[in-house]
Amino acid sequence: MTNTGTQTAYQYPTYVILGSGGHTAEMCKINRALMRQQSQQAQKYQPVRYIVANSDTTSQSILKAALPDTSSQDFINVPRSRSVGQSWLTSIFTTLWALLWSCWLVWRDKPKLVLCNGPGTCVPYCYAAYLWRLLGRLPAHSKIVFVESYCRVETLSLSGRLLLPLADMFVVHWPQLAARYADKQNLRYFGKIM
Amino acid sequence: MQLNVVYVTVGTTRFDALINSLTSHAVLSVLQARQCHKLIVQHGNSLPLTEIQLKYIEDHFGIQVEQYTFRPNIEDIRAADLIIGHAGAGTCTDILHNGKAGLIVINDELMDNHQVELALQLASEHYMYYCTVDQLSVNIATLAFEALKPYELNPANMQKLITALDDLMKF
Repeated sequence: MTNTGTQTAYQYPTYVILGSGGHTAEMCKINRALMRQQSQQAQKYQPVRYIVANSDTTSQSILKAALPDTSSQDFINVPRSRSVGQSWLTSIFTTLWALLWSCWLVWRDKPKLVLCNGPGTCVPYCYAAYLWRLLGRLPAHSKIVFVESYCRVETLSLSGRLLLPLADMFVVHWPQLAARYADKQNLRYFGKIM
Repeated sequence: MQLNVVYVTVGTTRFDALINSLTSHAVLSVLQARQCHKLIVQHGNSLPLTEIQLKYIEDHFGIQVEQYTFRPNIEDIRAADLIIGHAGAGTCTDILHNGKAGLIVINDELMDNHQVELALQLASEHYMYYCTVDQLSVNIATLAFEALKPYELNPANMQKLITALDDLMKF
């Protein structure tokens, strides 16, 4: 791939973190809107890499149905931090393993944007991006964007509470949350978007 | 408004009280009064109705019941005149985006269920109704389902988000 000077800035990927069914369906709507805008603009987000937990084939097929242009290479499979029913003791190790993976991937790929909307898996990716940016591994202009889940009307999700302090933009769906966090500069409300 | 086809869905939750209420005389008779002849029940992890109950409902109320655990349900949603569901975000959005009459039944057994927030909010904006299991029959009998508002989504709002994202990225 040949890159001219201006394009070099755009070679870093956009990381879109997918979670379980409901979260993925919401993320698809945002992604479709993002990719459908004037092609030149959409192009600037490329290459887009979708982070999916191993064994989550549902999210992958939901996304492929919504955005037929995506290919298998656009997906990065990562270890799941915890499976339903997994014992507490082994969870510690699998969670640590998932955490290390997120740190390694973000260090390797230097995403210009981490875009996520609430599944628990997104938290380590955002913290990793924040940390590596702080330490200068990621360019200073790389961004972390969190879209709260549509079903959060009055209170933030746990992921939301963990990420509100470090997200560059934090989107909520309901006026109650916008009013409650009116003092947060990074918190944005655009009306009903889905 | 006639409710010829009623779809009951509980997603992945266990909501025996709701599924069970479908066998009560009170609920069945108001469904019958609303000309219901077909009840599609997605019972998920709740206990399904028994063969005896299914036969009883068909014989005494003229309502044919089709029940299943899980399946892609877009056809069931489209076929329904009324969707009765738990307060899941998926059910709420299915109701909104398919322009269906919806009645959300709050599961009292699930404490700290934040998803109720969404159902209450949408009900307060007149996009759907909500009630508890005890109130189900009265609500089916008396609610004005035709008075519910269609969900209006302004595409400009999503565009504002995308523009904000472009600005943030300096694209």
